[in-house]
Amino acid sequence: MALPGAPPLDLALIEQIAPLTLTGERLLAVPSLLESLFIWGGIPPGWSIGVAGNGAWSMAMAIWAEALGAEGWIAIVGAPDVNLVTAAELGVRLDRVVVIETPPTKVWTTVVGALIEAFDIVAIAPGGPVGLRDARRLSARAREQGAVLFHLDGARSWPTAVDLTLTGSTQKAGWQGGSWQGGSWQGVGDGHGHLRARCLRIDAVGRRAGRTRSTTVLLPGPDGVLAPFVEP
Amino acid sequence: MTTGRRTTALRTAVVWCPDWPVVAWGVPLSEPAAVFVANRVVACSPAARQEGVAVGQRRREAQSRCSDVAVLDRDVDREARLFEPVAVALDALTPRIEVTGPGLVGFPTRGPSRFFGGDHALAARVLEVVTPVLAGRGEARVALADGVFTARLVARTEEAGRGPVVLPVGASPGFLADLSIEHLEQPELTSVLIRLGLTTLGSFAGLEAGDISGRFGVEGLRAHRLARGEDGHPPDLRRPAPDLAVTWQFDPPADRVETCAFVAKALADELHLCLEAEGLACVRIAIEVETEQGEQHVRLWRHEGALSASALADRARWQLDGWLHTARSKSGVVRLTLVPDEVIPASGRQLGFWGGRAERADGITRTVARLQGLLGSEAVSVPECRGGRGPGDQVILLPAAAIDLGAERAATATAWVTEPWPGRIPPPSPARVRIDPPSIEVVDTVGRSVAVSGRGELSGIPALVGIERRRHRIMAWAGPWPADERWWDAAEHRRRARLQVVLEDGSAHLLVVEQGIWYLEATYD
Repeated sequence: MALPGAPPLDLALIEQIAPLTLTGERLLAVPSLLESLFIWGGIPPGWSIGVAGNGAWSMAMAIWAEALGAEGWIAIVGAPDVNLVTAAELGVRLDRVVVIETPPTKVWTTVVGALIEAFDIVAIAPGGPVGLRDARRLSARAREQGAVLFHLDGARSWPTAVDLTLTGSTQKAGWQGGSWQGGSWQGVGDGHGHLRARCLRIDAVGRRAGRTRSTTVLLPGPDGVLAPFVEP
Repeated sequence: MTTGRRTTALRTAVVWCPDWPVVAWGVPLSEPAAVFVANRVVACSPAARQEGVAVGQRRREAQSRCSDVAVLDRDVDREARLFEPVAVALDALTPRIEVTGPGLVGFPTRGPSRFFGGDHALAARVLEVVTPVLAGRGEARVALADGVFTARLVARTEEAGRGPVVLPVGASPGFLADLSIEHLEQPELTSVLIRLGLTTLGSFAGLEAGDISGRFGVEGLRAHRLARGEDGHPPDLRRPAPDLAVTWQFDPPADRVETCAFVAKALADELHLCLEAEGLACVRIAIEVETEQGEQHVRLWRHEGALSASALADRARWQLDGWLHTARSKSGVVRLTLVPDEVIPASGRQLGFWGGRAERADGITRTVARLQGLLGSEAVSVPECRGGRGPGDQVILLPAAAIDLGAERAATATAWVTEPWPGRIPPPSPARVRIDPPSIEVVDTVGRSVAVSGRGELSGIPALVGIERRRHRIMAWAGPWPADERWWDAAEHRRRARLQVVLEDGSAHLLVVEQGIWYLEATYD
């Protein structure tokens, strides 16, 4: 209760002097448009997240941009197809990215294990199935170190369930009354324009998701970054 | 000391070869030439300077001032290698040579000066020894004064061809007083001082040391000492314990620079950890090499800021490069030792509250180094921005070994590339660019394969895409964007055209056709 005549509360100061947050309670931020997909409103350290479906990698990149902030580091392992130009367009700081294109299968676990110890996010796309013991060990180490594992292949080759899977889907596109009703991409037509924005529905399921959560966003939006979807 | 004044500056001789990055390229100084790093001038020849080229300019600006300027890339290894003979020549005069970097070398003169009969005689002798080594490729300026900083400025401000300059003992503060404060080469500090009205070294030197320390900390204090004509770091009389030296025995002997450099990097990391544990930083290091035939080569390296692990490794590499390329040593290296010759308390670096940025980058660097050991140095890479037309061409990957991850890296910002690339497909970019694009079929409404003419026109309206024997309907498309790349080079010339398509399932792809064959180049994943 404010006393009469008291100066207004300095919110920035309150944030600074608030009781400290323990590492275990610290959440990695996610874009505010996607907060509703996460039961805690952010990514708890040590989680593993799979991305699948349409726009899977753009989704991952948009989340990295927010989660890494200015100081976080990310390593991308075994996904030589990832286009970092897109990551930069979606806001990922390229001076915090380290890439290991295709580590040999026999040292794959060692490489990912070493990365988990130093990086905030480790994005993986295993070339083949991962053994159950290796998977459990890596997950345990990630929880211990507070690193987030991103499965760029939708955790297809991962033997255990991941904490959360985000699946992107676009509305079916079709011709209606002679004109193209693109539910997915905007800006492109019959030989003119260029791809500008995509309307993407994202569903979050998983053992830590609670109920199934979904949201619809523009990814990318007309400005190249994540944007809210407004029902026409 | 001959004067009654107490001074901490060590009497030092400096040999400076101006414009060394240009000289190292073998370009005569009478021709306009400039050396560039990341599109900015870092050094230029006197001829280019006369035309208005200056350090820090962008390439276009330099070329607009002087259209026939030769554009050279910085090659520090080469600079160091070619500078080695100068250092070797000076070795004949005194064993205490300190190389600051390619083009700049100094040594304390107390002993040599007495031996050769005074400062003037010594300075003349130095010039005599160095000139034949340069063989007319560049000039050498010799200066003798109290302290490295002063000696260097004397060498810089001296006019060409006037011979060596000797500043009398105790004359340093007087010499420095009228010089611009910017000679401190600490842009952050000097910009503040200039705004405070302190534009000369003399006016800054006149302030109380205590006030400087209170306001500007360790860095400010160091600058203040320099401005007063003293040495930047007060000599720390504690000699480093001998066990801080790190050694590697080669078996079999190493005869390649790369092998030695790799070990030098590991040794530098180890030394750094030892120093860190003792709370010390190294400002001068001795790199000792022993060859199969028992020859020993020692070189001292100085660095004004404390030497980081990668800076240490660089110096070891330069030195080995110089030695292994000169005819003097034909035998392999059997032992490499790094000795921290002069250390100071490591007080300059302030870590953030929760283990700051620098510490963070160190952890990342260590992990990267470990993985390089496991996978090879090329396997771990970091991105940098470049210009380009293709969907993934605006970012390239460089081996992380070559890059200091803790430093600001301007080239990772997309704003870094300012030139327009005509023919580039407008953003957004596809998130997945195939390393090995699969070939596909593109057919038009009547079932014929779609072709793109030399004028960039499609032979029909694309209706279906065949990927791995399955056909998908094209719901919308845009393009084509023709790209005629490297037409000036017959071997590298590529003519391509790109097409954006949206398929039934809502997925969007980038297709490319080259010599009549279509490929799935990228996906807007």
